[in-house]
Amino acid sequence: MESGLLRVDLTTGEIKREILPHSMFERWVGGSGINDWLLWEHFLKHDIMCDARSPENVLIFGVGPLAGVGSGIGVKGRLTFKSPCYGSFGDSTGGGKFPYVVRFSGYDYIVVTGKAPKPVYIHICNGEVTICDATHLWGKDSAETHQMLRKELGDYPSEAYTLSIGQAGENQVGIAGVIADGWRIHARCGGGGVMGSKNLKAIVTQGTQGIKIDDPSSLLEWSDGFRQKLDANEAAYGFKRRGTLGAVEMYQKIGGNFWRNNQGAMFRGEEVRSDNWVKKYHKYSEVCSSDCYIACDGRYKIEGHESDAAQKYVGESFRHPEYLTTGSSAGALDVRDWAEVAHWGKITNDYGIDNQDLSCSISFLMELKQREIISDRDVEELFGRPQSLEWGKMEDIEALVEDVVYQRNPFGWLFRDGAYHGALRYSEQQGQNFMKYAMYGKGGASFTEEMRPFPTWMNNMAVASRGADHLKGIGLIEKFQRRDLSKVYFNGRTEAGDPTIPDLKGASTALIENQVALINSYGVCMFHWMLDPLGYAPESYYGEVYTAVTGIDRTKEERMLDGERICNLEKAFNSRLGMRREHDTICERWMHEPCPEGPNKGRVAGDMFEQVLEEYYEWRGWDKETGLQTRQKMEELGLEDVADVLAADNAMAGERRADRAVHVDVKIADDPGIPD
Amino acid sequence: MITVQAEYTARFKEITQTTSETIQLEQANMAELAQMLTTKYGPQMQALLIDPNTQDLNTNGTLFIDSSGRRLFIDDTLADGETVSFMVGIAGG
Repeated sequence: MESGLLRVDLTTGEIKREILPHSMFERWVGGSGINDWLLWEHFLKHDIMCDARSPENVLIFGVGPLAGVGSGIGVKGRLTFKSPCYGSFGDSTGGGKFPYVVRFSGYDYIVVTGKAPKPVYIHICNGEVTICDATHLWGKDSAETHQMLRKELGDYPSEAYTLSIGQAGENQVGIAGVIADGWRIHARCGGGGVMGSKNLKAIVTQGTQGIKIDDPSSLLEWSDGFRQKLDANEAAYGFKRRGTLGAVEMYQKIGGNFWRNNQGAMFRGEEVRSDNWVKKYHKYSEVCSSDCYIACDGRYKIEGHESDAAQKYVGESFRHPEYLTTGSSAGALDVRDWAEVAHWGKITNDYGIDNQDLSCSISFLMELKQREIISDRDVEELFGRPQSLEWGKMEDIEALVEDVVYQRNPFGWLFRDGAYHGALRYSEQQGQNFMKYAMYGKGGASFTEEMRPFPTWMNNMAVASRGADHLKGIGLIEKFQRRDLSKVYFNGRTEAGDPTIPDLKGASTALIENQVALINSYGVCMFHWMLDPLGYAPESYYGEVYTAVTGIDRTKEERMLDGERICNLEKAFNSRLGMRREHDTICERWMHEPCPEGPNKGRVAGDMFEQVLEEYYEWRGWDKETGLQTRQKMEELGLEDVADVLAADNAMAGERRADRAVHVDVKIADDPGIPD
Repeated sequence: MITVQAEYTARFKEITQTTSETIQLEQANMAELAQMLTTKYGPQMQALLIDPNTQDLNTNGTLFIDSSGRRLFIDDTLADGETVSFMVGIAGG
């Protein structure tokens, strides 16, 4: 197994081509694992404490070995960087065709450094790389940028696929995302802000080259078996029609929704608490990445008859809303019409901004206004105009999105790095502590699901390497009460499948983080695994196809160690930045306020929090007092070189003096203040 | 004889063509409820409900809970008036 690595220095214009050797895959699997190593290496030569918006930061794109090979598991690309909004390790995932066509252009990994003197895009075509002027694209949204580049570059030797930023990224908004093919956002952690800081509008790929497979017949055999399993699976059939929208009704039953800044756990709107979307809206294509046997995504077009609000958006076409697009609008902001939910998804994608974090900024202020903690005068000062801040009013919400994208008033400036930093800055500005109403976890990252009744989910929010998030350690064993899986992974013990007790929830977090790291390193979609038609275990089932493609054979135990090694590298990055146990936490509402409604009414996350976190450190083999890694664990994982760096930075448990921590506060480097 | 309310989401709703129904059971347990539903709705329902390897309720990609949010298995008993929700398990998005 070898891969092409492209290095582009936008300051000097230098372009380098390298080959990533087989040994790199033996150690880091591929995809996010290799991205993590490239990030680690970069910051051995550059100041890790740099401003994430400075030319010293790096933007790494990578795609794993299973992407685009015909396995049928979907294709996901990954961006890795230092996050401008959380000041920590940052990465995000996206589908579309870009991550698979880029492999056909000769490169699986792209490392972009420096800063271009003017807006540019990088064009990669069958191994040839050109840095092109993008002045004419600056100011365009992601969808328009994609279409303009496709027209500009034509369809030879293949159609062009893009990774681009919208206006939010151009303006270096901390929570700006990067969009594949104009419609699939890598939302989390602010990769769009990093691209914007480099004056990089887009990366475009065209390619017709092949992908080398170690054992093609085994790959085809596996792929046939995989398709047959999916074809026979009724749950997969239902998922194909809805995508993650199916979670709306399920979460309504189990009390997992996030309503009005998590003042509630159930959606209220009659329409949006069902999956009526799939009945009423016209889906005219079923696509995401080309290499997916489920194809849960789809494009719709609003015709106007679907609802009252639909008349405002006649002709609008985009993806169908996924669960978190719905959670961030129908949930966090109490929008009650599917057409408005869909419009929210479209505008946040077009501008290129993370709608999770953005919605929590808006819902934070709506709650302050609802509780009359801030006055009309305060609101007018914040927005530079009268602003209603009423729940669910889409026209008002759309104006607030633009405020942040263009940072055109104090609100836009204060909240450009998400809800936590916005709430903190606004509290400081007003001389009051509003943090009780800010929803966030590790790194200040926000997330719109109710997690108080779900201890593994809660722990995910406290420890995820990229800041609070579900996709680093998604707690399915607990949320779906899979006592059968708990028995498999924990020597016959069933507690991991019981969300009402803390036992094995820290252990589950560690287990699933390792599995997710594997999936992200293979370069495939997580939904096939989450839907579980295959029996859950990615380390064995997906491991077989990884071996067919790469020739790297491993036992399932060794694959789990591969995942653990990757998780430890991400952890080490954050430890170098100064993250310690005190950063593994969640916000006040999640920690102390009882869950307000639903079958888990009254549950308080804080009752289990410390026990679950301690168990997590124990299963990780990390130091419970500081949260730092131990040399023993690092040596078990073959990470002696990483351990040496940590020790030199005083970020290794038990080595050097604990009272001489080099960095103790993780801050985002660039507080924008208030513009004149 | 007991009466339970069955509520359906996602794929279950498509197969049953309803969001809920009231069902009377001779035996107060999930085994009889699953049997009644597979008889009434056929092989698609059976594929969703029953794991052919274990003959227990299917755990792969599905979730069946009572009104307290507890996951149900084939041997569980049901109280008179209980509500059972049949769901496809999915998260994320």
